[in-house]
Amino acid sequence: MFEELLEDIAQKNGLREVNAYLKLAAGLGAILLCLLSTGYIAPLFIAIVLSCAILILARVDAKIYAELFIVPFWFAIMSVAGLILITGGQDIFWQWNILPSFSLSITRESINQGMFVFCRVIGGMSAMIFIALTTPMTDIFIVFRQCRVPEVVIDLMMIIYRTIFILIDQVIQIYHAQVMRLGYSTYRESLHSFATLCGAAFIASWDAGEDLIRAMDARCYDGKFALLGESRPVERIPCLAVMIFLFLSTAVVIVSGTITII
Amino acid sequence: MSSIILEARDIRYRYPRGMEAICGISFHIRRKEKIALVGPNGAGKSTLLTMFNGMIRPDTGLMLFDDQPIRYDTASLRMLRKRVGFVLQNPDRQIIAPTVYQDVAFGPTNLGYSQSEVKEAVTQALRHVGLEGFERRPPHQLSGGEKKRVAIAGVLAMDSDVLVFDEPTSGLDPLGSEDIMELLDELNHEGKTIIISTHDVELAYPWADRAILMLNGKILKEDIPEVAFGNPESVRTAHLSLPILLELHMELQKRGFLLTGKKPRTVLDMMHCIDTLFEHSRSHSRHGMITVCNVDQDNGENLSEWLSVHTGICTGAMGTRAKQCAEKFCINLDFTYGVIDKCILKALLGEDCLILTTESMVKRVYLRVDAYGLESGVRIPVHQLTIAPGEANEKNGSAP
Repeated sequence: MFEELLEDIAQKNGLREVNAYLKLAAGLGAILLCLLSTGYIAPLFIAIVLSCAILILARVDAKIYAELFIVPFWFAIMSVAGLILITGGQDIFWQWNILPSFSLSITRESINQGMFVFCRVIGGMSAMIFIALTTPMTDIFIVFRQCRVPEVVIDLMMIIYRTIFILIDQVIQIYHAQVMRLGYSTYRESLHSFATLCGAAFIASWDAGEDLIRAMDARCYDGKFALLGESRPVERIPCLAVMIFLFLSTAVVIVSGTITII
Repeated sequence: MSSIILEARDIRYRYPRGMEAICGISFHIRRKEKIALVGPNGAGKSTLLTMFNGMIRPDTGLMLFDDQPIRYDTASLRMLRKRVGFVLQNPDRQIIAPTVYQDVAFGPTNLGYSQSEVKEAVTQALRHVGLEGFERRPPHQLSGGEKKRVAIAGVLAMDSDVLVFDEPTSGLDPLGSEDIMELLDELNHEGKTIIISTHDVELAYPWADRAILMLNGKILKEDIPEVAFGNPESVRTAHLSLPILLELHMELQKRGFLLTGKKPRTVLDMMHCIDTLFEHSRSHSRHGMITVCNVDQDNGENLSEWLSVHTGICTGAMGTRAKQCAEKFCINLDFTYGVIDKCILKALLGEDCLILTTESMVKRVYLRVDAYGLESGVRIPVHQLTIAPGEANEKNGSAP
């Protein structure tokens, strides 16, 4: 499953031992800069740098990275195509009057706007994927606690995180059991099977919840959840790298703010 | 006889809207005993086990812990659950936290230990089950055996007196179950009372001090394993099968062989029975020697040097750390379970053996070989490797 895949990579990636704050600073800073940027070059620059970091520093398999990117990529392409056609402007390259009061056109402004949005999406996506692939959830929990997020929320998040994988396992097992007995052979059948799957998953999660309470009680639950308190030390080289990256990106944002593609 | 730690007096329990799961059971468990609850599915084993730490309250009857009736208010239950650790059958249901460290730390944290105490307890527990370096791993990436070990570590970290295991080996491969059973032995040796439920007769028979056979919510038989499993009829009634060794022993007796001594619990006992039958068949005048190496003391140099002299020697490892040590020094292990018995068998054939083990288990090797010597009159020399060869103080295995 995809969720499990992401966590697996995050647990084993080459930047696992780097301080979580640095990775989050790089990722969140990149997203912020993408949003602040007024030109298309800065997001593109961020996307290229972070993709290189993911592929070279974190040693994530290029094929897996491409697979992760392909869904948002197509989504961006389709949205941008629509955007280009409906955004108006002065310099008209191509126009089609479908109805007397409605026309589709490609203009200089719409192409610039489309390119800008597209690069923003790519830049933001690579920053998101950078965080997802380099920082495991377990490290993020520590950051949350240090940022004074209420304990109840963190405890709930941790229990949910733990149970997600158990539930996914169960759903896969039920699904396989259904497929083996030709559960999804026809449309009607697959509707029926899917309904049963949902029901079974609900009952399984209910059971798991009751078991969880029992397991916690058996170990003297008193409203406390231990937390792996130690985060990695901030080392000089990664810290410098993040600072240089953010500084350069900011510079690019400022310098290239007015540059357009055509 | 040591004192009684857990006792049940005529307890009964009926599930809401269900059949009676426990119908009038009385028994007691002494300190440092190894108890196996054996019975078919639905015999009420798990229900009974969950009464030991107060998860289920019997409808009638009395449960006593440490000679005090169990009280069911929150504070008393917490105390009880600190002292009676419970390991569920399905480790996925037991492991709560997103990382191994957090899960093992769950109990100690809730008991109000300080940060450093929690850390200490977790490190000790993980070391015990051989999972050092797994602290930051999320449980869903572990194998079945590793998950089981995490679940056990979570209970060990609370330093309970009694450990209750519901089907400790279910879902594990044979090697994995042998490892777990050996871990239970190790824990028992450190003074913990251990109660397991199982329907695996072959597993319970050589392991347990006492076996309790259950059927339909009642105790069918409660005795030492040789007796509890010794009656084919009661074993059949309990939907179980006879242990192979007992069956073999019985068949030999039926064929008119006069087998003396107690009923065999291990292959070693069986060999002893057969040996006494054919006295003359003992052709080996010289017995092999058993060498014990304490991996906690030895830094590996001594060991590698010794092994380079004694090539091709049979090697067994007892305890998790000993096995890790063997892996570290690339030592090929011949035995990983029932090591002492297998080494005695080898020694009887005139071959020398090496046992790698941990500090606490060294004494046990001597004790077991001594006990065997007393019983059979065979003297098998045991000596420790860490002593320099020149001043080797060869300790004699058998009693004078």
